[in-house]
Amino acid sequence: MELALQQKLVARLATDREFREKFFADPAGVAASEGLTVAAESFAQIHPEQVRQLARVLRRRRLAVVGIHLPLTRKALGERFADLFRNYAVSPPPGKQPFEDALGFAAFLEQHAAEKGLDPQWAPSIARYEAAELEATWLRRRLLVRCFPHAIKQLAALLTAGEVPPGSYQRSTTAVWWRTAASSRLKHWLG
Amino acid sequence: MGRKTEITNLLANLPRLGAGLAYREPFRDELLQKQSEVDFVEIIGDHYLDAPPERMDELVLLGEHFTLIPHFTNLSLGSAEEIDPVYVEKITSLIKRLSPPWWSEHIGYTRAGGMTLGHPAPLPFTKESVDVMTRNIVTVRRAIATPLILENICSPLLWPGAELAEPAFISEVLTSGGCGLLLDVTNLLTHATNLGGSPEDFLAELPLDRVVQVHFSGGHETNGRLVESHAQPVSEAVWKLLDAVVARAPVRCICLERDDNFPPLPEVLWQVERARAIGRQHRRWN
Ligand SMILES: [Fe+2]
Repeated sequence: MELALQQKLVARLATDREFREKFFADPAGVAASEGLTVAAESFAQIHPEQVRQLARVLRRRRLAVVGIHLPLTRKALGERFADLFRNYAVSPPPGKQPFEDALGFAAFLEQHAAEKGLDPQWAPSIARYEAAELEATWLRRRLLVRCFPHAIKQLAALLTAGEVPPGSYQRSTTAVWWRTAASSRLKHWLG
Repeated sequence: MGRKTEITNLLANLPRLGAGLAYREPFRDELLQKQSEVDFVEIIGDHYLDAPPERMDELVLLGEHFTLIPHFTNLSLGSAEEIDPVYVEKITSLIKRLSPPWWSEHIGYTRAGGMTLGHPAPLPFTKESVDVMTRNIVTVRRAIATPLILENICSPLLWPGAELAEPAFISEVLTSGGCGLLLDVTNLLTHATNLGGSPEDFLAELPLDRVVQVHFSGGHETNGRLVESHAQPVSEAVWKLLDAVVARAPVRCICLERDDNFPPLPEVLWQVERARAIGRQHRRWN
């Protein structure tokens, strides 16, 4: 099953930045250490720029999908959404489903905000709110309660309509999602 | 069965759908009001697997208004490791539920060593890859009788050790798998141009008699490279290529893909109408 190993190697090269750089420092060596035998030499000829381009293509597709799952966060951060995503997407997407990448990125944003700050200050709350909604929707939570230090309802309405005027928007908000049964429709309350 | 008979059988019962749109959530409400301007809707099947009931309501609503064509990404027909039987089961049940005239996937792989890429990666153009694709297609077709068509992908990476030219590779896969072609003209233009080749030459080598559906979309240029971003208006180069394909291939439908930077729906529908007119001009539908 040499081809399966080769495909795994290419998939890692295209999604794992650290692995990519390690590989290009010693292509034949890394290919051999990944179990490739007959193709180790030919993999030494793989074009670094082509691999980096492929990584860019895959990252752009991931970014588009994550943007669809976190539309308010994307609006809140503007162009920084893509910049921050570039820092996040240095390893393969977590999980098998598209929403899992969005949850991963929302968690990354929260950590980034805690360590380095994020402007506007309410942006991490919006990301956490959208992540909670994804979790309630796709993981079919029966009951999910989240508290936020910002006026989520007002911010969501402003973001949907267009721009959010400068301000602190500090106000504690509670959000609840529930289903009466796993097979019933999701309900939502935001206060 | 001879090649000609096999293709005739494949295409004989497929309806001429016309011009339509790949469904994206921001279009939902407006799209339902513009039903008469869209001949069919392509949905991303993966978005409705393991989906909660409120999500499936959306699919029911769309199905009440449009012919739906499911398009999948994560089946990974090019994977040398076994394809995921659970995923096959899930898509089988979704396709049964929709009973579409055909369904589509890609010539590439999205799963390897426990990773799911979410977007197809290229295959080496070798006999072994053709065999892998064929084996997986046969497995899937055993479960799903609905005709399968496969899309050409756009990739900047060429694997070392190719034994076939890419159009010949695509042709072999389709022939041995008994599949139609979902020809993405924007992928074709982007791919051939970025690799320093000519889209027309690439096109001339493809089995155009197998084209069932066409994808087209807008892209942009960055650092001298084309990017199929699906986020811009369709360029004149793409329109020209689309026209050339529809003139020569027995196209059953043309589908516009728009994934980002969403304009008001009328701007998108104008492009759908232009595609419909191209099909009409070449007598693919009335
Ligand atoms: Fe496409």
